[in-house]
Amino acid sequence: MSLPIYLPLGLGAFLFGIGMWGALTRTNAVRILMFIEIMLNGVNLNLITFSRYYWQQDPETAARAPIITLFIMTVAAAEASVGLAIILNVVRNRDVIDVDKVNLLKG
Amino acid sequence: MPSWLTSGEFIVFAILAIVTLVSAYRMVASRLITHAALFMALSFTAVAGIFLLMQAEFVAAIQILVYAGAITTMVIFAIMLSGLKDIRAEASRNVRTWTRSNPFVFVVGAIFAVFMTYVYVVSKLPAAAESQGITTVDTIGASLFTTYAIPFEAASILLLIAMVGAIILTAKEVDQQ
Repeated sequence: MSLPIYLPLGLGAFLFGIGMWGALTRTNAVRILMFIEIMLNGVNLNLITFSRYYWQQDPETAARAPIITLFIMTVAAAEASVGLAIILNVVRNRDVIDVDKVNLLKG
Repeated sequence: MPSWLTSGEFIVFAILAIVTLVSAYRMVASRLITHAALFMALSFTAVAGIFLLMQAEFVAAIQILVYAGAITTMVIFAIMLSGLKDIRAEASRNVRTWTRSNPFVFVVGAIFAVFMTYVYVVSKLPAAAESQGITTVDTIGASLFTTYAIPFEAASILLLIAMVGAIILTAKEVDQQ
């Protein structure tokens, strides 16, 4: 493989950084959920890259990374569906989407 | 000049990486949240291309099906179904701090990427082993239904619970009388 391993790993870290800072600073609930998906995508990219460079040559380990990625995507899909349901409920009951204004639990 | 700079692999990777990062930035910068969702789909599709470059066809197909297909559609549906004006476009707020500026998201991402790459370079990752061909869906399926059968069933139960939970959360309450 001629491509250095650091380039895809750096891209995965870049995606994770963008997603992290976006999720921490934005206040629109739907947008925060989208940034969390971007973060999970960066993690998947790192996992697949490591698998390509170090696990691919051994048939014993070659199938592991796709399966772990499949489980990560399952959890991401479940999280997105329940998260969007909660957001829709908040919008319906309190008429806000800004997470700074959802402050019923504030002491 | 290193030899990998002119290889087709690097050129394809560079194009896909630029598409991924630019659409991730547009996701941050676009004011309409529908546009942000569509740019998220574009970013996911470009990452699926990188998965193909990494010889993970199965993951690339799942990425397009689940992320670019299902999750993006779900987000857009949720945006369209709610009547709130705020959800579609972010209201211009008078509090503008430097942490919320758009280019700063890119700067933080770049700093994190440089830091992580530095960590990887310092840790001196071993050279890549030669690949013995592609991992087919055949292999993945065989080990998914033998070695990883119990996690697979747990994942299916998780999806079922998430589906039921989402339906219960969003269903309108009906009077019992």
